[in-house]
Parts: sequence; C-alpha cells; structure tokens
Amino acid sequence: MRRTLLAAALAALLCLAPAGCRSRRKVKVQQTEEEAPSLASMVHVADPKVSAQLVNGFYGVEQNAWRWTAGKFSVLLRPPRGAAQKGATLQLKFAVPDPIIAKLKAISLAASIGGKPLSPETYTQPGEFTYSRDVAADLLTGEAVKVDFALDKTLPPANGDQRELGVVVSVVGFEAR
Amino acid sequence: MNAARRVGASLYWITPPILCLTLYWYGIKTWFHADDFAWLNHASEVYTFRDFLHSMFAPEAQGTIRPWSERGFFMLFYSLFGLNALPFRICAFLTQFANLALIMAITRRISGSRAAGFLAALLWMANTSLAEVMAWSSAYNQALCAFFLLSAFYFLLRWMETGRRRDWVLQWVMFLLGFGALELNVVYPALAAGFTFLCARKHFLRTLPLFIPSVLFVVLHRMVAPPASGVYAMHFDLSMLTTLQVYWGWMLGASWLATIIPLSRWLVAAYNLTLTVAILGVVVWNARRRNWLLLFLLLWFAALIAPMLPLRDHLTEYYHFLPSIGVAMLGACALVAAWRGAVWSKALAAALAAMYLTVSLPAARMSTRWYYDRAREVRKVVLGVARAHELHPNKVILLEGVDDQTFWKGFVDHSFRLVGAQNVYLTPGAQKLIKPHPELGDPAEFVLPEGAAWWALEHDAAVVYNVREPRLRNITSLYRASMPEAWRSMYPARVDVANPAMVYLLGPGWYNIDINHRWMPRRATVTLAAPQTAGASLHLSGSTASGDAPARITVTADGVTLPGRSLAPGEGFHIALPLPPAPESKVSMEVTIEVDRVLTLPGDARQFGLAFGVIEVK
Repeated sequence: MRRTLLAAALAALLCLAPAGCRSRRKVKVQQTEEEAPSLASMVHVADPKVSAQLVNGFYGVEQNAWRWTAGKFSVLLRPPRGAAQKGATLQLKFAVPDPIIAKLKAISLAASIGGKPLSPETYTQPGEFTYSRDVAADLLTGEAVKVDFALDKTLPPANGDQRELGVVVSVVGFEAR
Repeated sequence: MNAARRVGASLYWITPPILCLTLYWYGIKTWFHADDFAWLNHASEVYTFRDFLHSMFAPEAQGTIRPWSERGFFMLFYSLFGLNALPFRICAFLTQFANLALIMAITRRISGSRAAGFLAALLWMANTSLAEVMAWSSAYNQALCAFFLLSAFYFLLRWMETGRRRDWVLQWVMFLLGFGALELNVVYPALAAGFTFLCARKHFLRTLPLFIPSVLFVVLHRMVAPPASGVYAMHFDLSMLTTLQVYWGWMLGASWLATIIPLSRWLVAAYNLTLTVAILGVVVWNARRRNWLLLFLLLWFAALIAPMLPLRDHLTEYYHFLPSIGVAMLGACALVAAWRGAVWSKALAAALAAMYLTVSLPAARMSTRWYYDRAREVRKVVLGVARAHELHPNKVILLEGVDDQTFWKGFVDHSFRLVGAQNVYLTPGAQKLIKPHPELGDPAEFVLPEGAAWWALEHDAAVVYNVREPRLRNITSLYRASMPEAWRSMYPARVDVANPAMVYLLGPGWYNIDINHRWMPRRATVTLAAPQTAGASLHLSGSTASGDAPARITVTADGVTLPGRSLAPGEGFHIALPLPPAPESKVSMEVTIEVDRVLTLPGDARQFGLAFGVIEVK
C-alpha cells in the first residue's frame, strides 16, 4: 500500500506541479479596453502621457516632477466642460529658482490665447507661484486651445548647459469656473 | 502480487483522488477571493525575521494562530508564486487526496472491509462540505486539520495493531502539529478516547494523556482570544439545536441543494428524515448488538460539530467538513454490512446511497462552479485594475458597475494593494448596489464621494473603468460628461486625507501622502460637509508622533472650539467630538486641528504633529 500511495502522490505531483510553476511573475495583469487618447485640461508636465501637449519650450523631466522652460513655451489644452459658456481659469504652477532672481532681479510672465494677451505678472522673489488668469468663454470654444507663455528675461546658456532657462513648471491647465 | 491484483490495488487507491479532481475541477481553477486577500496582504508585509515570527504566531482575530494552514501556507506560496492561485489550489487538492487515502485506510482498519474504505472516501468526497474547501484557499485550514486528525487516528490504529512505539509517537506528533492547522484539533483526544473506550477498551487509559495538550491549548487560546462579540458571540441556548439542524441538513445534501435550485420544502424534509432515520436506525441497531463502532462514528460528527453550535450567527459553509468524516465512515460501514445481508437490505442500502449521491454530487459540483465564477469576476477586476494602475500610475481609479458579490469577495480585504494600486474606489452612489454586511465592513469607506469625484475627474486626477464587461473598459470621458453639475458643490462628510482625490479639501500645512496616511505639522485645516443632523460628531482617526508626554489636540469647526483631548504618544487614536448644530443652508465647514507637541527628526526640517487617517462627520 505504501508504494502505491507514494506512486499516486508522485503522479499527482508530476501532473500538477508544472501547471503551478507556469508563472513566477507576481502579477499577470489583464488587459483593459482604453479610450482613444484625448487631451487633458490640466497637465502635469512630468506625466509622459501628456508630453504631446507640451508643444514647445519645455525641457526634459527632472526629479520626476517638473521641467525647465525656455523663454517662450506653449501648451495645448482641452477646455474644461462648460468653459465655452462660462469661461475658465488658466493656471500655471511654477517655481522661480534663486539663481534666476539673483542674476535677473525680476522676471515677467505673460500668456496669450489665440493671440489675445492675458495680463502679465512680475516676480521679484524666488519661490513657488501660481500664475492664474480668468479666460473669457469665447477663447475656449473647440476641442483644444493653445496657450503661449513668454518671459521677458531668461538665463542664457552657461557652464556647459546649452539651454536658455526660464522658470520651473510643474502643472499647467484650465480650472473650471 | 500478480499484475491484475496490482492494477486492482492501484485503482483502489487512485480512483477516489481522480473522482475528486473531476468533481471539483472548477476548484483547482478558482482564483483568490474574500479572506484570501487579507492573508496575501499579510504575507506581503513580511520584511524581517521578526515580522515573520509575528506573522506566523501572533494571535489574529478571534485568537486564531494557525501557522501552517493560513500564515505559513500563504506566506510560502505567495513568496514562490505571487498571485498565481493554481499552486495554492494544487496544494489543497494534494492534501485532500492524502485525506481520502487516510479515510480509506482508517475505515478499512476499523471495519475490516476494503469496500468500506473505498465507500467512505466516495461518500465523503461527494459531501457538500467539500465544495468550499476545494475552491477557497482560505479554507485550507479544514483540509490540513483533517490531515492531522486522520493521520493521528491512523497511527493510533496502527499502534493498537502493532504495539510499536514509533506509531504511538507518530500519533502524538501528528496530533501536536494539528494545533498549527486549526483549533478544532483539540477534540482529537475525545476521538481517540471515545474510540478506545467503545471499541478497544484496554487502550483507553493510554489515550488520556492526550487531553493535556488540548486543555493547555484551550487555556492559552482563552487567554489570547478577545471576548467573542458580533457574529462570533457564543449562544449556549436552544438555538444550538437549530444550528445543529442546519449543519446536519447541509451535510445530508438536500438542504444545501435547496439553496442553489428551487426544491420543495416537503421534499427536502422527507429526504432529510429518511437519511436521518436510516443513520440513527443503523447506529441503534448495532448498539443493541454491542457493536459500538457506528456509535463512535456518529460521536465523531458530534464532537467536531459541537464547538460550532454556539456560533448561531456565523453559519459557515464548510463547518461540517470535519464532522462529515465520521458520518461518511459510518455510512460506508453500514452500506457494506447491509450488502452482506438479505436482498431487501441490499436494495435499501443501494437506494439510500443513490439518493445521497444523486443530491450531493450535483450540489457539490454546482457550489464549486459558483465559487469559481465569483472568483473569476474578482480576478478580472483585480488584474484589470493592475493594468489600469500601470497605465495611470498617479491617478485614482474609480470602478463603475461593481456588484454585491464582487464587492464583498474582492474589495473589503484590500485586494488592490497586492497589485500596487492604493487608490481604488467605487463610483459615487455605488453603495446602493451593495447589500450591507456590517460584520464585514462599511461599503461607504470604499466609495469616492460626489464632490471628490467631480474634482478628481475635472483635474484629470482620476480614471473611471466599467467592470460589467468581460474586460475593464475605460469610460472616463463618458463618465466625466455625465456627472451632474450639482456634484461640484458637494462636500464629503468623510475625508480620507491620504486619498489624492481629496487633496483639494486640505488646507496648507499637510505633508505628502505616506502610503495610507498624511502627517500634519502643529496646525492644519480640512474642509468637509457641515453636519446635516443635530447631535452629529466629528470623528478623527489617526496616530500621534512618538515621544515622552501626551499631546493635546484642539479642534475648531468654523471657529467654534470643540472639547480638547489628550492623546497618548506614539499610538493610534479615534476620537469623537460633538459638533454644534449648523444652519440648514450651510454645506461645508472648515475644521482646524492643532496639536501642542511635535516631533522633529535629525536632517528633516518637518515637524510631525499628528498623522491622519480619516476625518468624518457622522
């Protein structure tokens, strides 16, 4: 009986063990049905999935969180729901690093949508800021809106860094009103 | 032994496992569900040897320890195979194959009949109690406990035959190891003593020392187990008879089948009565002839079901798994004895066996299929969320269309943590589809409130997936477009400060999310719904920074200071502060939390005051 039992146990092990060892991967994900890609209203500039919306003037992602800009930079955004009737608020979350103020004393940031300028703002201290401007409803019709930003001054290339440096941006987008 | 006999012997031992595998085939394919996720999370949180020891042996809910059948089982297999459920299931099946071999060997020995051994395995295998054990890894404790009980009993029988010390020692080893599988192992001395007293009196006294470990275990268990409450409250009253009737009916099969397909109450009652009369009749018949074996086998059932009877509010589908071993052996012995009798007794035995198998086999099969289907749905959601998290790693994942069963079997034990997705919620209002089970959890904790859903979707901080289809479908745009405008101005009554979709409710000062909590410095604010009813309280759950002295927490709600509280250092807390009535028109209130003591760490400029947690008005 003992031999029979042992044989039975071994046979079961041989039959079943390969199936158990088929995958050592901890998580075998199941595919999902994704939507066709659409534009975001609010863009975290470090998110690789929205990098196509950063039209120009943005450098590579740093610290997985932000990007340096050049003197002029643009982004393509989807107007939020209801913006064509109520307008929206443009927000740019960014930082002005110490070296910018130390060398340039002050910088001004301006924005425009479809050629219509939004009022600029001047920054004389280093730190984190949010540039926020109301945008009229008539500028926010359609599926996508290009927003152009411009700085009056930038740090020129130096110390082997060939980039012209403006500000450090983390988030840009429209807030629904 | 000639070839024909060898083949016959092999078939004898191999047929029950093959039939078992065939009958419970869906069980081997069943994925994780329900408590499995709690054990898998437990297994995934072991980093050091100290963690390991704690995870293996620290008493859990209801004072359970079970290192082999739950903690060790899940830790070992999760570390080797991750979320591949098949090896877990294979282990359970192999253990059950061993159990079938043991019940055959035991029944053969106690009845002297090879046929009885075979029939015992068949009758037990067909029992409805096996369905959940064969389809749910968290019920492995039952299969493993059966293994230790049957092994110990088998070695007792061998020792009685041979008198060899080795068999006696092996009985003790199996018995003692059984405590690591399930608390029910304590009844083994009663089985050993009961058998020897009724069937082999000269060995009776030798079995009495077996009671010592059981008594010690009961004392230890009562020391570490929290007082039984809720569904685990013990009711030593007449309700025990009702509970016994339920388990007896489930074990016979028809009452169980009636929970799956419509069956006439009269038919079920007639079936139960027939089998009960047959079982009790054959026990009494034999007892009158001083054949006590069948009485012992009925006592096997009684001994193993008795500890479950006071649990009136916690009827569990596999609690009759271990007791049914005794009745299966009893049935097999009775069938073989009847087969040796007159034609009428053969016919009666065959009819009763056919009746039992006709009801129990489909019931077991359908139950296993049901577990498989539920687990497959859970698997789809969990592994679909894993993919969604890969695609949207920094976003909250909202699930639309989660049904009642999938929620209770896949959500409450935090299955999504296992695939790295911390922020997975049901869409607003989804709790209406969930049947309440207060003993299992509160669905509201898993639902993202309307205001937070609005904010997260408008800020591209969340994605929505529909789970009703064969694969999770991203419906974020559609869902966003269909959100009622009113959600925008709604504030949640419950704010989980570690939920990224609720960050807009937090004032300045809060630090970044740290897995499932957020630290605040000396002062922080949060906005949440104003109380909607008189007598509402503000509930705060979190923990204090370590230190030597208690911290004093001061809370104001819209400028009104609530009673302060003193909090012990380095401990979790849950406090409820009565709120003043708010005007009906008021939709939100700002809560300011201040603490008088903060912790600073070398090289870190931050001040750590309190960690939250959840802040809730209710």
